[in-house]
Amino acid sequence: MSGGSARSLAKGSAPPGPVPQGLIRVYSMRFCPFAQRTLLVLKAKGIGHEIININLKNKPEWFFTKNPFGLVPVLENSQGQLIYESAITCEYLDEAYPGKKLLPDDPYEKACQKMVFELFSKVPPLVTSFIRRQNNEDGSGLKEELRKEFSKLEEVLTNKKTTFFGGNSLSMIDYLIWPWFERLEVLELNECVDHTPKLKLWMAAMREDPAVSSLLIETKAFRGFLDLYLQNSPEACDYGL
Amino acid sequence: MEDATRTFGKGSCPPGPVPEGLIRVYSMRFCPFAHRTRLVLRAKGIRHEVININLRNKPEWYYTKHPFGQIPVLENSKCQLIYESVIACEYLDDAYPGRKLYPYDPYERARQKMLLELFYKVPHLTKECLVAIRCGRKCADLKLALRQEFCNLEEILGYQNTVFFGGDCISMIDYLFWPWFERLDVYGIADCLNHTPALRLWTAAMKQDPTVCALLIDRSIFLGFLNLYFQNNPDAFDYGLTC
Repeated sequence: MSGGSARSLAKGSAPPGPVPQGLIRVYSMRFCPFAQRTLLVLKAKGIGHEIININLKNKPEWFFTKNPFGLVPVLENSQGQLIYESAITCEYLDEAYPGKKLLPDDPYEKACQKMVFELFSKVPPLVTSFIRRQNNEDGSGLKEELRKEFSKLEEVLTNKKTTFFGGNSLSMIDYLIWPWFERLEVLELNECVDHTPKLKLWMAAMREDPAVSSLLIETKAFRGFLDLYLQNSPEACDYGL
Repeated sequence: MEDATRTFGKGSCPPGPVPEGLIRVYSMRFCPFAHRTRLVLRAKGIRHEVININLRNKPEWYYTKHPFGQIPVLENSKCQLIYESVIACEYLDDAYPGRKLYPYDPYERARQKMLLELFYKVPHLTKECLVAIRCGRKCADLKLALRQEFCNLEEILGYQNTVFFGGDCISMIDYLFWPWFERLDVYGIADCLNHTPALRLWTAAMKQDPTVCALLIDRSIFLGFLNLYFQNNPDAFDYGLTC
């Protein structure tokens, strides 16, 4: 895997060349939870890829030709095809590449994973709001809302009686929601899973997964990134390099 | 039409299990989200039964089908429940044989899903326009915002140079967009297409599609529904039924 620890490309940088045959490229950012979804799937499926990190506080002009919304992650293949929106990139990889299928073949089980994904959908904006809250706000309201969302997920695990959200093995839905749970500790939001024991067990089981553990972000690095990011510093995305 | 049945409201008996060989959709005759699912059922020739729900007076039992009582919901004979209109449509395409509405190619499938992201503001904006107009408020800003969304879609058609959003034949993405375009006229905002000729051509082509045609809602019945709906009349949902 090349490029995961590479400096990001910023305004004024030259656009990268075409993607070599046999590889797929992901435009990413080392601390972005949405891009982490795509990296997890690439890793889990053993897909040969290259990573180009983008400076999200100082975006290269050419990046908008890859994604008009200017967001990561974006996939680019050697045919020049571009795919964006993290969930769409993950599903594309699962369909386009051989090996272990992360989404179930059974249409109903697949639909169930998508319904759980919908259930999860309020978590990212809540975490973002919590991160961005002003210093005098104590965040207790947001924490309570997060607890509520986590209870819904706990209910899924209770009803299914399985370790993971898709059954007894790890699958797509687990990877799609993981990045936000990884960040709970560094954001001091771990207390939000105090009343959801199955979710806690799931988090521990996730950390054992090879793809998850290989992409774990070091706490100090994340803290360093976050402080700079909240100050809109163009150095944020390369913190620790 | 298969869905020309009276709604189930509060106090109604829950329907029995779904018979083998059929799939059930909980719906409402005028709901655009449920319309998506009915289009797919029709397009794929899937045998189904429709249970209409009175959305202003929901049956207590309906919350066992959907935690928030929303439609559409699919229920099959194995008692499996699927909701969120897009998820339901994809489930039907995956689970049933015959004509595939999503492309086979993973990239083309991804393209359709990316196009759907482009559409996400349209349902909210069209509803806001409708409510504003019906409540006698000005909605110039809303219409402007809607026109901007339509311009984005126009650009796609221009760039692709195809009649439909998925290519030269109608496919899933067209059915997923259609219900809001069918409603522009009856909502009073058809002029939002004035500057988007390719989109107008697309709506004309859509109206030629047998599935779209078969489910087209009669204009005067729709207006009758809207009149009652905005008067908060719970009989709105059954407007136009003769049985």
